[in-house]
Parts: sequence; C-alpha cells; structure tokens
Amino acid sequence: MRAAFRRGAGAMLAATSLATTPVVAEPRTPHLRPAQTTDEAGIWALSDKAEQQARQSVERNRDPALNAYVTDLIARLAPEYQGDLRVYVMDRPFFNATMAPNGYTEVWSGLLLRAESEDQLAFVLGHEIGHFAENHAIEAQRAVKARAQGALALQIAVSVVAMGAAVNSGSAQGANDIMRAAGSVNDLIYLSQISAFFSYSRENESQADELGFRRATKAGFDPAAGAAMWQAQVSETSASSFKKVRDQEARGSIFSTHPLSTDRIKALETLAAAAPRATAEDRKRYRAVIRPHLAAWLKDDLRRRDPGSSLALIDRLSAGGEDAGLLTFYRGEVYRQRRLDDDLVKARQAYAEAITHADAPLASWRILGDLAAQAGDRATAQSAYDTYLARSPQAPDRWLVEAGLKKLSEGNPS
Amino acid sequence: MIRRPLRVCALVMAAGAVLSACASVTSAPAGPYTIGQAQVTLGHEWSDISAIMLARPAKVRLLSMDGPLLNRLYVTDGLAPGEFMVKPMAKERPTPTYRAGMSPAEQMEFVSDSMGALEYQRVETDNPRPAKFGTADALRFDLKAKTKEGLDISATALVAEHKERLYVVLYIAPTEHYFAAELPEVETVIGSVKPVA
Repeated sequence: MRAAFRRGAGAMLAATSLATTPVVAEPRTPHLRPAQTTDEAGIWALSDKAEQQARQSVERNRDPALNAYVTDLIARLAPEYQGDLRVYVMDRPFFNATMAPNGYTEVWSGLLLRAESEDQLAFVLGHEIGHFAENHAIEAQRAVKARAQGALALQIAVSVVAMGAAVNSGSAQGANDIMRAAGSVNDLIYLSQISAFFSYSRENESQADELGFRRATKAGFDPAAGAAMWQAQVSETSASSFKKVRDQEARGSIFSTHPLSTDRIKALETLAAAAPRATAEDRKRYRAVIRPHLAAWLKDDLRRRDPGSSLALIDRLSAGGEDAGLLTFYRGEVYRQRRLDDDLVKARQAYAEAITHADAPLASWRILGDLAAQAGDRATAQSAYDTYLARSPQAPDRWLVEAGLKKLSEGNPS
Repeated sequence: MIRRPLRVCALVMAAGAVLSACASVTSAPAGPYTIGQAQVTLGHEWSDISAIMLARPAKVRLLSMDGPLLNRLYVTDGLAPGEFMVKPMAKERPTPTYRAGMSPAEQMEFVSDSMGALEYQRVETDNPRPAKFGTADALRFDLKAKTKEGLDISATALVAEHKERLYVVLYIAPTEHYFAAELPEVETVIGSVKPVA
C-alpha cells in the first residue's frame, strides 16, 4: 500500500512539475464574442453561468448609486470596452475584484472599504482591466488545463469516496456538508498542483500592475495610488491575528493570484516617480461615496474574526478624522469580541469615546451600559441605558435593557 | 495485472463504507431526549441527523423532520467557555465561541453569528423575551436570515447560562410553510428544556 501510495505521489509530483510552455493569448478585441468552437467559448459559458449566480446572489449589493459609481469609474478607465463590462458590487468582506472573460465584473465591498480614495480604487480596477484586456484568464485556464491531468485521478478518487458518504447521508444538506469537506481536500490537491502555475502568473500580475498604472494615470488619477494601495494591503496582512495569514505575504507569490511583493511595490513607485497628487479632498469625496455602506461593511469585516487585521483597517479608515463615532464604535466591537487581556477595558473606553461623536451608532450606549454594569460602574451603566432608551423608545431589545436597569437598582449589576 | 485495480477499488469502497458507517440517521422518539446535561421533551418523533453534519461539535445535537434544508433543531449540551456551536474549518477561520460573562445581548450575538458561520446570510435578531431553563432564567428571541440563494429563513432560539455553561436550543426553517409547520412542536420542545437533575 505504502509503495503504491509513493508511486501515486511520485506521479502527482511529476505531473505538477512538468514544465508547460506558456500559452499566451492574444489581447482582447472589444465587442467580440469568441467562436463557439474555441476553448475560449467554453470559458465564456462558465463565466455566463457564474454571472447568473452573482445576479441572483443575496450577497449582491443592489444600491444603484454605488453600482453606477463603480460602473462609471470602469468606463473612464476602459472606454474601449464600454458595453462589454458589467459590474456587480458584492457585499463580501475581502479585498477582491475580478473580471471574467465574458466581461462580468465583481467588485467586493472589502476592496471598496480598503481603498482610501478613488485613485486607489481606480488603480485596482485598472489592474483587473489589464488582466481582462490581455486575456490572462484564458492563458491561466489553458495552463491549468495542461497541468491538470496528473492530479485528476486523485481528485476523482477523493470525490468518489465523498460521494459514497454523501449519498448515504440521506439529506441534501448532509450531502452538501460532506462534499464541502471533500472539496477542501480537493482544494489542497488543486493548490499544490497549481503552485508551479503561479510562478508563471506572477508575470501576469506584474504586467497587470503596469497596465493598471498606465490606465489610471491616463485617466488623471494619482500615480502614487497603486503603490500606496498595495503597501496598505501588506501592512494589514502583517497585522493579522493569525500566523498563517501573516506569513502569506512571503508565500503569496506561490498561492495568491495577487502576490504583493516588495518588487511589485517598488516597480510601481518607480513608475510613479513623482510626489502623490491625491489630496485630503479626494479622500473625503471617496468616503462620501462609501459612507452609506460603511457601518454594514465594518460589521461584515468583524465576521472574518481576524481582530488584528480589523484594527489595522479601522486605524487606516480613522486617519482622516472622519466618521469618528462609527469607527470608534467598531474599534470597541473588535476589542469586545477579542476579549484578550485588558480588551474589555479598551472596549469600554472606545464606546465611551464613540458616544461623544454625533455619528455614534445607537448600540454604543447599550453595550457601554452592559460593560459598565459588568465592571461595577453603576453610574455609567445607568446613564448609558437611560440614554439608549430615551433615544430609542421602541427598541426591540427594550425589555433586555430594562432588565439591566432593574438589576442595577437591585444592586446586582452583572 | 488485475490485482492492482482491484486493490484500488477495494480501497475506495472501504473508505466509502467507513464514511457511510459513521454517517447514519437515528430516531429521536417522542418523550424525554437527553443531550449531556440538558433535556428536552419531544412531542413527536424526530430524526437525529447529528452524525451526518460534519461541522457539528460533539456537544451539539441536530434533529430534523423533513431534512436539514427544510427544518433543523439544534439542542446543545452546556458549552464551556471557548467552545462553539459550529466547528471551524481552519484555525484562521474561527467560528463564534462562548465566553464566560457574556451579556444577554452577547449570548444572542453568539447564536446569530453561529448561524452566520453556517453560511446563512444577513442574520438579524428580534424580539428578545424572558424564558426559563428549568427553574433558571433564560432568554428567548427570534431570528431572520437568508440563504446564499436568497431564500427567506426564520429561526427562534433559547439561550441559558447555567453553572458557567451555555445551553442553546435553536430552530431554523424556511419562512415559507416549513417554519410555521413545526413551530407548535418547537414551542413545546423549547418550553420543556431543563438541566438534567
């Protein structure tokens, strides 16, 4: 058995390490669909299917103003592809934008939240347009397909075993859970198999950086925005609470499609070769665009449960001094949920500071009341609860707050 | 020549058999149903589908009438500080954990975030109200959510902190038809939850 496994592993390794001649695709001509008989048509069909799912997804942000804003920005960066690119803003708390070969474009809220200005967003979107214009996705698919054969047998074996368990589960969700677990195993096989592929992709990434830079600067955006955006991402990653995430910067060139190496940042700085042009006014204008969604996106970000990364993000968003009540509230939320060392003290301080700003969320008073009560600070708890009820007499959790007040009056705050 | 393919087939089949043997649905008959230090009384027979739900910690039982997509009833043993309702798939993707000293609002947040960890979207809590866990105080509340595909989901839950352990009863079903269909039975089950004497 062991020998057979070693032989299988050897075959896998051989398959994955085979040098494949890069399959370079031609740059894209606007307004053309590929012929039905081409491999590109198959990739378009998959993209069409993914677009249909995105259109119906509950994660889709349906704010027409926000979608129109991103669509307009893309049109300014890629006027030749106007009509080819369709934007879907998705409420997903991760830094990401993708542009499929059929022109279906996802821009995630995690990116919109992390861009400090329209200039930085323009650079990232320009980068994606660079991939799109150069048909990098088609190249990637062809390269992966060429390397996939060696891993396929093992992947099928894992799926077959999992399918057996799934069928026996007798329920769709049970089957789904089992297949999802098997999917993770397949992901590992997939990732190990494509590690070689991403050394090839690095060139595409660097090329997309340059193309994104050129498109953004041609449209009048700040040349320094690209390097600043990537540097901010490196800083946030290094602030993660998880070693594996912090280490991703070093390994990003192997497993990430967007490795943010020092070389790439330096290349962008060299291209910029001028002082940053973006002003505080530029940043304020961009903040005004995303402000209606700021609270919801910050709440989503906390669901990643990476407090180190979230605190770094909130620090960055706080740099301009705007939205102080909201951002300080969410800083308190991170501390409260993390609960390390003196985090509950820091959380209480954050909520107390948040309520001094006009934009503090109503929940600031209720949570401050809860934490002050737990800490035995009856006066602060009473005041915070009273203010909460006065500001929100119809609050759905009124009964809970009144119960807290009753405990305070009975001298049993916690 | 024949032996090697047979060995491979046997390996795959054995692995499948092992997995399928682990994953079986059992009956949860009407009457008292004990989960560690918690007990509920079931008004009618349910299926205990705990064994086939891989993201389920040992202290969490999952019952269903029509399959977990249509109705699911989670009942937990007392969760100790640091324990969770939903098992994390990776260390850097943690799921909500119970912490000692959580306020009632944080206990509600623990349940709603756990629903989020089960991949329900836009989970919101509503209508907190007093309840009982045996003779001890507990908290009832309702939840609304959506599946990724946009299906409306309703839920109702009870949480109780008792002897530094958190006990949860959580019923989740599609809002259309299925939630209301089992709600009278679920109200009876939630009303019956108590610590094991």
